[in-house]
Amino acid sequence: MTVRKRLLHVTHLLFAVLLLIQLLPDRAASDVHTGALIAFACGLEAVTLLGTFLVKKEESLALLVDIVGFIFVLLALWSLVTAKFNLLNPMLFPPPGKVLAQFAEDRSKILVNIRSSLGITLKGFLLAAVAAIPLGLFLGWNARLGGAAAYISKFFSSIPPIVYIPYGIALLPTFRSVSVFVIFLATFWPVFAGTMSGVLNVDRRIIDSAKVLNVRGPEMLFSVILPASLPQIFLGCNQGLSVSFILLTSAEMIGARDGMGYYVKYYSDFGDYTRTITGLLVIGIVVIGVTFLFNRLQQYLLRWKK
Amino acid sequence: MTTNKIEIKHLTVDYTERGRSFNALHDVSFGVGAGEFVSVIGASGCGKSTLLSVLEGIYQAADGSVEIDGKALHGTGKERGVVFQHYSLFPWMTTRTNIAFGIKQARHDISRRECLKIADEFLGKVGLEGFGKKYPSQLSGGMQQRAAIARALAMNTEILLMDEPFSAIDAKNRVVLQELLLSLWEGDSKEHRKTVVFVTHDIDEAILLSDKIVVLTAHPGTVNEIVQVPFDRPRRRESLTQTAEYGQFRNRLLSLLYHDVAERIGGEEVVI
Repeated sequence: MTVRKRLLHVTHLLFAVLLLIQLLPDRAASDVHTGALIAFACGLEAVTLLGTFLVKKEESLALLVDIVGFIFVLLALWSLVTAKFNLLNPMLFPPPGKVLAQFAEDRSKILVNIRSSLGITLKGFLLAAVAAIPLGLFLGWNARLGGAAAYISKFFSSIPPIVYIPYGIALLPTFRSVSVFVIFLATFWPVFAGTMSGVLNVDRRIIDSAKVLNVRGPEMLFSVILPASLPQIFLGCNQGLSVSFILLTSAEMIGARDGMGYYVKYYSDFGDYTRTITGLLVIGIVVIGVTFLFNRLQQYLLRWKK
Repeated sequence: MTTNKIEIKHLTVDYTERGRSFNALHDVSFGVGAGEFVSVIGASGCGKSTLLSVLEGIYQAADGSVEIDGKALHGTGKERGVVFQHYSLFPWMTTRTNIAFGIKQARHDISRRECLKIADEFLGKVGLEGFGKKYPSQLSGGMQQRAAIARALAMNTEILLMDEPFSAIDAKNRVVLQELLLSLWEGDSKEHRKTVVFVTHDIDEAILLSDKIVVLTAHPGTVNEIVQVPFDRPRRRESLTQTAEYGQFRNRLLSLLYHDVAERIGGEEVVI
């Protein structure tokens, strides 16, 4: 596709429409920060144009341009129902410019909270993976124990991990350690169950193939069974990861001193809905970012699959 | 007394499936000389793959014994290399890592770098130069079997066990692979040739490759007859298959196979 063709995309038209809408007079009484919205839209458009010239793969470019298009539509509608026509309660629904300006103002505070949330999630998740994968491999490979362990893991993974919170609070000293503990449990069972089912479902022919190469003991477990069960292990990890985020933000809304859930809860208690919406959007972006990185890791480690 | 590389004596194997046990092989005896290429043929379900599983060391015999160099066989061993019909290669390793992994398993004394070097050399021998970095899923079935053969050869085992290695390959590529295997095996000088046990249901494949053919009868699997292949080596498919002797020999094998089938049909119910 030529550069000219690449430039012909409805997203750029949407960008122009969004800017034109900003020419309409504001009807909302409060400060609407049109400047922040325009700056953000221009930045996004600049990224898109840069991508148009730099991104080589057609599919990746199309994805980028389409997503940006959606964001422009969303911003335009949001700006129309708030700042321009004042259709919604301005206290509960601040205009987009105001949220963007708030984000810029609070950026260092937000960064600290993101770091806190990610730190807890990562700790709990990694501890769970490090414990669950070897244990699952070992028990799954031991045919007799495997059957029993599969049922037990099903039992435990069916319990919503949030009910462990009272025990965590009774046993552990700080909010952070309770959160790590709950995320550990929330991730441990799905990863353990995934590993076990992965091991139990390894193709007999692959095991035979390893046996005739005289692969034995730990090498069988880590060089053959582990990579062969990796697709199912990742299924468990994905499940654990998404549950972890939900759990953590809910837990932070109850008792934390920092973290993104705390940020949202703290400011909504003061009726500061600009910051509440800012926090919601940041949580969404962080979760998408982490999931994206995790998917890339998964794609890389499973690149041998068709 | 002859000294066979592999000596199978009165082998009986029971097979358990869904809790039901049945006799897969009954009193099977034959020997394979050092450097001999022996094919085992028979209708499907005659236990020829089960026989190979016992030789591989992954299946236990109920009775009888298998001896290699006069010693009773127990489990898998470094003197045997195996090529299966499917999944000989690990899907998560590249072709060359697969081969290097096999070499490393057979010989712990050499470094990983040397293993990779040998792997590349054998990839070349089977016509897969430049495919070392591909994963099995990125190769065609025929190429996967080439790589599997390369691994088995690179491991430099005295014995090669092949379980219908070309059965899942399309007819045209199967012929190419048969000729590749033939030329690689015949390429070694007579005293260095590997001892091969090759399981197949393809009569032409068996004749082209083998010194000796063991014909099995089904239910339970027993040796019907052991036939020496009377054709000189090196063999060429085109010249071999056009001779009258080839046709006669082929017919003899066919009747050995179908005689059994006809008997079974006649014994139970005549459908034709």
